[in-house]
This record gives sequence, C-alpha cells and structure tokens, in this order.
Amino acid sequence: MIQEIIAFTILGFAVGFLIKKFFWKSKKKNDCGDGNCGCS
Amino acid sequence: MSVQNINVALIGNPNTGKTSVFNQLTGLNQQVGNYPGITVEKKMGFCKLPHNIKANILDLPGTYSLNASSMDESVVIELLLNKNDKLYPDVAVVVTDVENLKRNLLIYTQIKDLEIPTILVINMSDRMERKGITLDIPYLEEKLKTKIALVSSRKGLGIDELKELIVSYKNITNEPCLNASVIDPEYFEKLQHAFPNQLMYKLWLVITQDVNFSNLDRNEVRNTFTKSHSELKRLQQKETVKRYQFINDVLKKGLKVDASMAKDIRAKLDRVLTHKIWGYAIFFAILFLIFQSIFSWSTIPMDFIDNTFASLSSWVAEELPSGILTDLLSQGIIPGIGGVIIFIPQIAFLFLFISILEESGYMSRVVFLMDKIMRRFGLSGKSVVPLISGTACAIPAIMATRNIENWKERLITILVTPFTTCSARLPVYAIIISLVIPSKRVFGVLNVQGLTLMALYVLGFFAAILSAYILNKVLKLESKTYFVVEMPSYKLPLFKNVGINVVEKTKAFIVGAGKIILAISIILWFLASYGPGKDFNEAETIVKERFANTTLTETQFENEVASQKLENSYIGLMGRAIEPVIQPLGYDWKIGIALISSFAAREVFVGTLATIYSVGDTDNESTIKSKMQAEVRPETGGKVFNFATGISLLLFYAFAMQCASTLAITKKETNSWKWPAMQLGFMSALAYLTALIAYQILK
Repeated sequence: MIQEIIAFTILGFAVGFLIKKFFWKSKKKNDCGDGNCGCS
Repeated sequence: MSVQNINVALIGNPNTGKTSVFNQLTGLNQQVGNYPGITVEKKMGFCKLPHNIKANILDLPGTYSLNASSMDESVVIELLLNKNDKLYPDVAVVVTDVENLKRNLLIYTQIKDLEIPTILVINMSDRMERKGITLDIPYLEEKLKTKIALVSSRKGLGIDELKELIVSYKNITNEPCLNASVIDPEYFEKLQHAFPNQLMYKLWLVITQDVNFSNLDRNEVRNTFTKSHSELKRLQQKETVKRYQFINDVLKKGLKVDASMAKDIRAKLDRVLTHKIWGYAIFFAILFLIFQSIFSWSTIPMDFIDNTFASLSSWVAEELPSGILTDLLSQGIIPGIGGVIIFIPQIAFLFLFISILEESGYMSRVVFLMDKIMRRFGLSGKSVVPLISGTACAIPAIMATRNIENWKERLITILVTPFTTCSARLPVYAIIISLVIPSKRVFGVLNVQGLTLMALYVLGFFAAILSAYILNKVLKLESKTYFVVEMPSYKLPLFKNVGINVVEKTKAFIVGAGKIILAISIILWFLASYGPGKDFNEAETIVKERFANTTLTETQFENEVASQKLENSYIGLMGRAIEPVIQPLGYDWKIGIALISSFAAREVFVGTLATIYSVGDTDNESTIKSKMQAEVRPETGGKVFNFATGISLLLFYAFAMQCASTLAITKKETNSWKWPAMQLGFMSALAYLTALIAYQILK
C-alpha cells in the first residue's frame, strides 16, 4: 500500500513537471524600475 | 563587521578575453540564466575582496559600442542607464585587448560619458613583448581619466591588482574623458537646458537608441528634440569620428609598436588556415579527428556507466521488498536515468573539442573560410556559428543568429539550423551505430563506427545548406547584406576556460534533458505496466490457454505473460495504433512509442526504449544495448535492430524535427507560427521519405 502511494505520488510529480515545462506560460517581467520608463 | 556588496559589470568588445577575466575573478562561483523576458544569456558570479567586500560580477554580452544594433547590445545599454536596476553597476570594468586597443576604447569613452566609475583592463599583456608593444600607463591613466589594470587573464597575471582597483573604485573620477557635445554645441545646449537634471549623453542615447530607459519620458525627449533620421545618423557618425580622433591622439603617445621586435606567426598561420584549398582540407581533417576520438575514447567510460546502472537495477529488484515502487525504480527510473548518464563521455568530448577550437581563435577563421560557400546557398559566413554551435543545441544556436544583420539570411539560418546534429541526436546515433555498424577498423586505424558518426554530422550539414539553397530561391524577401567578422589572435586554449565550458554545457544537457527524460520514463513505465480490458488483466490465463499443449519453463512463461501485458498495456495500444504508418520504415510498435515520446526531445528515444524493454524483463542485469540487441520480431524471428532498420532510424533522426523546444524558439525569434509550422512539416516529410526509401532498399 505504501509503495503504491509513493509510486503514484511520483507519477503525479512527473505529470505536473511535464505540464509545467511544455504548457505553462510564464509571465514576462519588465524590470524598468520606478517611474515612467517609456517601455510599453 | 557586515559584508559590503558591490555590483561590478564586465563590459567589452567580443574576443577581448572578458569571459576569461570573469572566470579568473569568480572561479566556479557562477550562475548562468537569462535576462527577464528575453533569451540573452546572463552570466553572474561573485568574488570575495579584501575589507569584507563581496563583488557581484556581471559578465555582460560582448558589444562594440553603445549604439545598439542587436538585442545583446540593448541589454548592456538598458542596464547602464537604469539606476533602479538591482544589477546597476557601482563600477564598470571595461576589458580591452592590448592588440586592438584603438577599436576597444570606443565603448570605454561612451561609458565614461555616462559618469559611471570605470576601470580599464588592458588584457593579454603577456603578448606585449612578443608583439613589440610598449604602453605608457601613467599617461594613459591621465588622459583616459581612469585606473588601468594590465592583465593577462590566460596566465592569471594582474588579477590581484584588478581586485584592488575594484575595492578602491570610489577613488576613480566620474569625469568624462572627452566632450562629445562639440559635434553640435547648439543642439546639445538646448537639450541640456530642457532637462537640466539628466546626463547629456543619456539624453542623446534616448534620442538615438531604441531601448528602454528608466525615469525618462522617452516620448517627451524625442518629440521635442528629434531631428530627421538622416540628420541623427550624420550626428552619430560625427560622434564616432570625434571619439576615434581622441583615441588616436591618446594612443599616439601612450602606445608604441615596434614592428622589428614583433615575432608574429599569426599572418603565416592565417595564410594556411584560410587558404582556398588547404583551409578546407585542414578543417575537414580536424572534424575527422574529432569524430574518431569521440567514439574511440568514450567506449570505456560508457561501458562502465551502462554496466553500473544495469547492476543497480538488479540490486534494487533483489534487495527491496517486491511491489510497485520497486518495479518503478528498477524498470522505470534507473534505466531512464541510465539512458541519459551514459552519454556524458561523448557529449563532454564533443564540447571539449569545440571549446578548444573556439578558444584557440580557429573558429573565426572557419567563419571567414566558409563565407564564400555559404553565400551561394543564401546564407552568410556568420551562419557558420549557429550551424556549428547547433552541434550542442539548436536553441542557443537559433538565438545566435541575432548577429546576422540581413533578415532573409537570418530567417534561412533559423529554419535550417535544426538539421545540424545536436547533442540530443548523439545518444540516438551512438546506440544505433553500436548496434548495426560493425566495430572494425579500415586501413588499420579508421574506426568504421566513427566514420559513420562523422558521415551523419556531414549529412546534417549538407541537409542544412541544401535546404537553405531551396529557401533562398523560394523566399521572396529582399534586403542588403554585408559581412564583418572579428579575427582574434591565435591563443593556446586555456585549460580553465575549456574546462568550465565543458562542465557547463554537459551539465546543461544532463540536467535540462535529464529531468524531462526522468519524468517521461516514469509516465511510460505506468503506461506500460497498466492496461484496459481482459487482454491485459487476464494475461496469465490467456497465456496458459494459448500454451495449454506446450510445456513452458517458469522463465518462458513469465516472459510470455510480460509480452502479453506489454502488448495490451496503454502504451502497447498507442504503439499499435501508429504501427501501420511506421511499419514501412521497418519500425515495430515499440520503436513507434519511442518516436512519439521523443517528439518532446530526441534524447528521450533511448530512455524510452530502455524503459519499454525493461518492463517485465526478468533479467535486470542486461544493459540497454544488450536488451536492444536481443529484441526480435515475433513474426519472423529476425532482429528488430538490423542494418536496414538501423540506417532507416539514423536517417529519420538526422532529418526529423523531433524537438518541441526548437519549434518554440523559432516561433519566438520569427514572431510567427508560420515558420515553425513550415519547419516541422518540411523536416518530418523529408525524414519519413528518406527513412522509407533507405529501409525499402536495404531490407
């Protein structure tokens, strides 16, 4: 039973990792500092 | 006493030894990443200095001036103008090459105008005697209004003096070394009057450059003070001429070159290495030696790794309590990781040779040599750099096309670069070559497996330039072209730089690809260990019924059950669904699964086969290679990996676009899905057709 729980948890991590790697879009950051920097 | 952190930016032209200085300062305390939102490489490291100071060293991309013509150069300008950036330097260190001081000082004078404390590093000082160069350091320091460190980053000379200058950077004057506003005094006076709190040179960059700036309303400055495009260009040219006049005047007295003292072999070497016949002969001889060595030298460590992982699988299966987790470890995770680790020796050797060629200055001669040929195929000499660096990975190689000024040449280079044999193809080639090409020597010295590997690399290169030729004819894009290449001096490769490069590139492959391969191996194991319906769940009963009249040993029975289960598992069903499409290429459904999973990344191919062949395998001690070698076709009893299938697979992987990340970067660099879609369609069709023809002829 414990082996099954660990094995399926590992499977969950593996699936989650691949989804994050190939389908998750990270937000772009524009590090312009304070004030009106003129970047769009 | 608390630690004082200071930011140090290393700036300079390409090929000035900036990265060597960075390596000397930071050792292995380095981190490589990307600038936010863009894919320009950011190298950071730290260095502990006297008086409890910790210097955060930023190795900025090589740039010739603060007039941005590429994304790399924009990164430098944006950082130097944004005081709110957390990486904004407390002190700038401009690295120059003693042999190219005149050209290298242009950017130095521009940075001085930004009133950042600036140290001038004159690198490669160990060559001064050989080249007959003498420098009047006090005079140069006075005229350039800075402190100078005479450094030989290759020999580690002058690094301690540089560290001392960094510690006492507050003693360096911020005063510019020349007055650039004399190019149009009236215009600059008005500009300064309108924005009295801003630096004049910063305002000038706002007007002339298309980069992001902090705390400045670009539109306001531009609307009020803009001139016509041609007028701005004329002023920029005047500014550059003014700066070079100043540099010439300073160097006239500060630098002396006595040609009679020079013992230069550069010209002699260049004559041979860029010769229209000998140049190519030497280049191909070097490539030939590299691929022979990759195969010959890496056999012993690869066999060792393969056997170690096989023994580990066996040990885990025997020692851990039986159950699903033990099976996952011994049949899924360990063979999956082994499928990546095994290729460390070959990848490390490949990067070792490429680093040596780059470090020695030979690669620039190759760029020059190839320009004439490349131009006939619609490419530029500069396309050689992406095509060669594509042997590591197509992703940075496609990013490296940014220094190709002509859009059509750049687009064609982006589209054909994935044909270059990348390190992800190497594991696939290596395992298949070792299975289907005999390990014998011709003429006593030439390893046939090494020759095959070289042939595949050459094939990839020719596929790239022939595709470029077609694209050049098909694409209706017009733009002007010119070719400028830096010819650095020849140097003995520095062991430290080569070593760091090999470690970083190999680590990037193993860590980057390894995580994906591990995750896919785990999922594959589950898909291969579970299945729907009676055919899977009642496998033992079905086998018993099938062999009711035959006596099977216990091992034979277990193998038959494992085979029945695998065939009817989820992955088995998926593989069988695509079998009709891949059967004409000589592949069975198991190879089909590896083809599907390796679409994410080619290197997953071997790991996938290692996992599939391990599921239900009672002999955990077998290596990946021996498992593949033992695989037979049930219908004929012949080997799955025979010569025809092997060649078909090699050709398929030579041409197929099996890399989701490369498609993503092509989309990013071309800003359109049209080009990656075309790339995928063309490469897949070519791969299928060549593999089909090869198999049908050879079977």
